[in-house]
Amino acid sequence: MARRFLTADDVRQKGSGEIVVDAETIVTPQALETARAANIVIRTQAGAYSEPMPDRGPDAATAIRSLPNLPEPAADGDVGPSAVVTAVGKNRPGVLAELTGALAKAGVSVHDISQRVIEGYFHLILVVELDPGVSFGPVKQQLECLGGPDDYAVRVMHQRVFRFMHRV
Amino acid sequence: MPFTDSEILETVRMFELETLDIRTVTLGINLLDCADPSLEATAEKVYAKIVHHARHLVATANAITADFGIPIVNKRIATTPIALVAAACGSRDIVPIARAMDAAARECGVDFIGGFTAYVYKGFSNADRALFESIPEALAQTERVCSSVALASTRAGINMDAIARFSEIVLETARLTADRGGLGCAKLVCFANAVEDNPFVAGAHIGIGEPETVVNVGVSGPGVVRSALERLGPEADLLAVAETIKRMAFKVTRMGELVGREAARRLGTTFGIVDISLAPTPALGDSVSDILELIGVDRTGAPGTTVALALLTDAVKKGGAMASSSVGGLSGAFIPVSEDSGMIEAVRVGALSLAKLEAMTSVCSVGLDMVAVPGDTPVATIFGIIADEMAIGMVNHKTTAVRIIPVPGKGPGETVEWGGLLGTAIVQDPGRFSCPRLFSRGGRVPAPIQSYRN
Repeated sequence: MARRFLTADDVRQKGSGEIVVDAETIVTPQALETARAANIVIRTQAGAYSEPMPDRGPDAATAIRSLPNLPEPAADGDVGPSAVVTAVGKNRPGVLAELTGALAKAGVSVHDISQRVIEGYFHLILVVELDPGVSFGPVKQQLECLGGPDDYAVRVMHQRVFRFMHRV
Repeated sequence: MPFTDSEILETVRMFELETLDIRTVTLGINLLDCADPSLEATAEKVYAKIVHHARHLVATANAITADFGIPIVNKRIATTPIALVAAACGSRDIVPIARAMDAAARECGVDFIGGFTAYVYKGFSNADRALFESIPEALAQTERVCSSVALASTRAGINMDAIARFSEIVLETARLTADRGGLGCAKLVCFANAVEDNPFVAGAHIGIGEPETVVNVGVSGPGVVRSALERLGPEADLLAVAETIKRMAFKVTRMGELVGREAARRLGTTFGIVDISLAPTPALGDSVSDILELIGVDRTGAPGTTVALALLTDAVKKGGAMASSSVGGLSGAFIPVSEDSGMIEAVRVGALSLAKLEAMTSVCSVGLDMVAVPGDTPVATIFGIIADEMAIGMVNHKTTAVRIIPVPGKGPGETVEWGGLLGTAIVQDPGRFSCPRLFSRGGRVPAPIQSYRN
């Protein structure tokens, strides 16, 4: 059976030369240190030792297969990978242009839009669709950098958040 | 539009104004294969295995926050009860394992790691005893390690000998961390009917029926429930109150379900449970006490508090159960005194006594949590407080816990600041009568009869 761990003690017992471990073995930092000090080489059959990918256990393999099949709440008029952009702030000319300009630059198209101005403050909601190949993280970051403390604030949330929260 | 404006604005409001967040994403790691005849080697393996599995936990959680816009406040690690892992080495001092856990937690960037744990509801193994004796030093010497012990269960009864020893350990831990207001005790909790998939510290650990690795998620959301009740107004009847809480609990729990699925997928592991507890923080508005007061008591602790809490806890469970396919953990309402601004205020104005708090724990999800008492409280009194709480759990088939902090050098009414999530506490008066004869009897309280439930 494969050795699960190689400890400093194991290295000391070996004394010198080299230790061949299985690819799945976790070599502790102390073992690596002891081996370095004693000029012992730790390697696998295939070559130099590097920390293996974590073995998350037998249930993890099943989970990876079954997780994507868990039913998700669905929303009417779902448009694929999309996000909800909300902006709130003092109204002034050009706010909508700034936002949609940034969206266009990021390769994001607007699917739906709604805006109201109440007592000088605007509330803007955009449902946007991400083109294939556009990833959510950078788009979110770019948009949330718009505006400022005395101007307006932008928040971008994944559409799944709204589906999970508001749909059964 | 797939969602209405009001739905979208409601979600944004929850995150922006009502402090909705995911309280914890906790990675459970089975450490049984770290057992070794050598204590040193055990500690080494414990460190290596934790870091091996949890190295990317914080980055993964942060990436989920970035991608979804859902804040995840804490990232934590829970392990197999260390008494089981340490049994093979036969050592009486297992503090080195706690230090290894601490170092691993620091390496992974998590603020707390739970699992310095033993189950002793019926008796002690040698390893359980070693763990018990190591607790004070382990908590004093480490920063991030949390310890929990299971002292009672409905099936086994109450191990009163273990409570007696535990009470002494609580006082010893407080003494060793006296310079920090007895902070060691904030990382130490005892349970009746301990749950083995609890993602929240200090009781976080994974039991022996759990997978090799597992992601458990704890949600929060007192602020969301509070705002919804404010909007509902004082005229609505209690059915409307319960229905409102249920709906909010559903929405809050759904965020936990989403984050749990995503965290498990990204870490390549099993999604365990969502713990649907309403967990307060010292932040303004993020208070369970405020909810009880909105339901209709002048101050938390006044007559009516227990029924309000019963309604709240039940409604949270009903809403949460629909929202997640895998509800678990403690799931209900937490009432940690020092971590909830409303509870602190209730103690300050004299509304909330220890006795009332104990009554409330018969219907909340956990128990006496983050309760400060004077540093010179007799050991028999601590013992009595814990034993009473264990009895409530045992008889009512529910989890109860005690996290009590005897604050060295402080008397009733004085304030102690622990800072951060642990908050501020006003030292409570445990009364001048105690139970030294009960303390010295020793033995066990037999398991309760399961029939004739009145």
